[in-house]
Amino acid sequence: MLIRDIMRSPAIAISAETTLQDAYRTMRERGIRHLPVVEGEKLVGVVTDRDLRLATSALVPSPFSPDSRVSAVMSSAPLTADASDPVEDAARTMRELKIGCLPVLDDGRLIGIVTGLDLLDALMRLTGVHKPSGRLEVRLPDHPGELARLTSFVSHRDLNIHSILTYPEGPDSVRTVLRIGSIETGLLAEDLRRAGFDVLWPPEKPCPR
Amino acid sequence: MPSVIYAPAYRRYSFGDEHPFSPVRTDMVLDLLGALGHRVDTVEPEPATREDLLDVHQNAYVCRVEKLSAGALVPDGQEYGLGTQDTPSFPGMDEAARWLVGGTLHGARLISEGRETRVLQLGGGLHHARRSVASGFCIYNDLAIAINFLTRNGLKVAYLDIDVHHCDGVQEILNEDPRVLTVSLHESGKYLFPGTGEIRELGAGAGRGLKLNLPLEPFTEGASYLEVLEQVIPAALRHFRPDVLVVQAGADAHFDDPLSDLMLTTRDYEAIFRRILAWADDFTASRVLFTLGGGYSFRAAPRVWAILYLVLHDLHVARDLPESWRSKWSHTSENELPQTFHDPNPSHADIPNRYEIAHRNRQVAERLLDLARQYWFQK
Repeated sequence: MLIRDIMRSPAIAISAETTLQDAYRTMRERGIRHLPVVEGEKLVGVVTDRDLRLATSALVPSPFSPDSRVSAVMSSAPLTADASDPVEDAARTMRELKIGCLPVLDDGRLIGIVTGLDLLDALMRLTGVHKPSGRLEVRLPDHPGELARLTSFVSHRDLNIHSILTYPEGPDSVRTVLRIGSIETGLLAEDLRRAGFDVLWPPEKPCPR
Repeated sequence: MPSVIYAPAYRRYSFGDEHPFSPVRTDMVLDLLGALGHRVDTVEPEPATREDLLDVHQNAYVCRVEKLSAGALVPDGQEYGLGTQDTPSFPGMDEAARWLVGGTLHGARLISEGRETRVLQLGGGLHHARRSVASGFCIYNDLAIAINFLTRNGLKVAYLDIDVHHCDGVQEILNEDPRVLTVSLHESGKYLFPGTGEIRELGAGAGRGLKLNLPLEPFTEGASYLEVLEQVIPAALRHFRPDVLVVQAGADAHFDDPLSDLMLTTRDYEAIFRRILAWADDFTASRVLFTLGGGYSFRAAPRVWAILYLVLHDLHVARDLPESWRSKWSHTSENELPQTFHDPNPSHADIPNRYEIAHRNRQVAERLLDLARQYWFQK
């Protein structure tokens, strides 16, 4: 999944000459919190609702007036993303630097924006249920070929995998969560156990069989 | 006397000997009742017509079912959920599925014409079928077709689904209908097929607040199940004031079911059926239409549905299962068929976090009612 798949495009932007008042109104009207600031087509900064609130707060010694220019309070030379970056790169950058958005540039021209909410949407798409399916959770040894062994087992039963997530669990194992397009994941789990897989879900029921 | 709807042609709805959705289960029910000395009088319906199907299904979908049914190749069948591992195609599948729809529709007719109050359709309950997608063993949605028939005849319908899986097909088709309340109790979609049925899916448009979902924790036992049922159903029925109940009585929430993870016993099912009949007496002048549904344990499902028949007819549930019946059907199960009608007590090993499970279910039921009431009392 790439930035171009999740970004908002075109981004709503303002010029550096915009007043704080007008920037605030734009955010309110559009229901957004981040505004790229441009001079012509060139990105020169980003201003957030937090920048505006802090700059104009009665709690600061000398607050800016509502008709100050955003260029005075914006973050200059902001970090940006490329449309071809993978989404996890954007997530890492935003998490490490604790920033809420990345303007997306193409040849220096602003073509879109990615915010924290877009990353949450991406997470929902990656983990969510979009087709009728059942959940299967398997612990695999962290060796080459183990995931292939699992997926080929599923494919030999002519079952469709709708989503697959896998993450490191300990030093020697990975946890793999699959959504399978079948009502019969219980039976699949039994067969996987018989074939030696460590199936964590569906569980064996505590009853005599 | 309640009417029991059944036709030998129901047996044709079969995906092959190895498939869980087996017509043998219904054979076992009828044979068990016979072996116990009950004479089961059944009413034979007509198969549903193509027209009946088009009330909820798209023409393109029905055409594809018909083609596969006639043995023709349908290259894009998989896009319609047809010819999959769960719902394989088979010769005659169109007609077989229309028989099941016809049975449920006939039950709706008996009730709307005032000829009957209690009806048991010994088949159907194909709640996963979508407008144009087969899913989870279900080709045509008999329930939605019968419910639409009832509402067209001026009846408000409360649909109760106790199958262990969420009724995604019924909900999708009736999502915006203000004349239909749906309540589904199921194992949470976080774990089980089809993955939907969260409390926030409350319906849309004029149907908002009338599609209720109660997702339950894996390993939920009868006491907790009955508790949340009591929390939600009477409140919903008091608000909605239905004219008729339609009940999808899947038997797969039983602890012996191989496809899911709830832990109901036959005694729990008997209690559930008795409560439903009492609600029908209180809210719908006894009008209630039961269908079958999921239920994939040969050791459990036939007993659950026989109990449904007996409770519906105010008949006694015998202590033992007839020896003749046990030996006749012993080949259906790797393990021996049970000796008694009801499960032994205790029926299974203790569930370690039983109280936490019950607590979570209680909270989900409360949150569901809180969410739904925002729409019920909004004017």
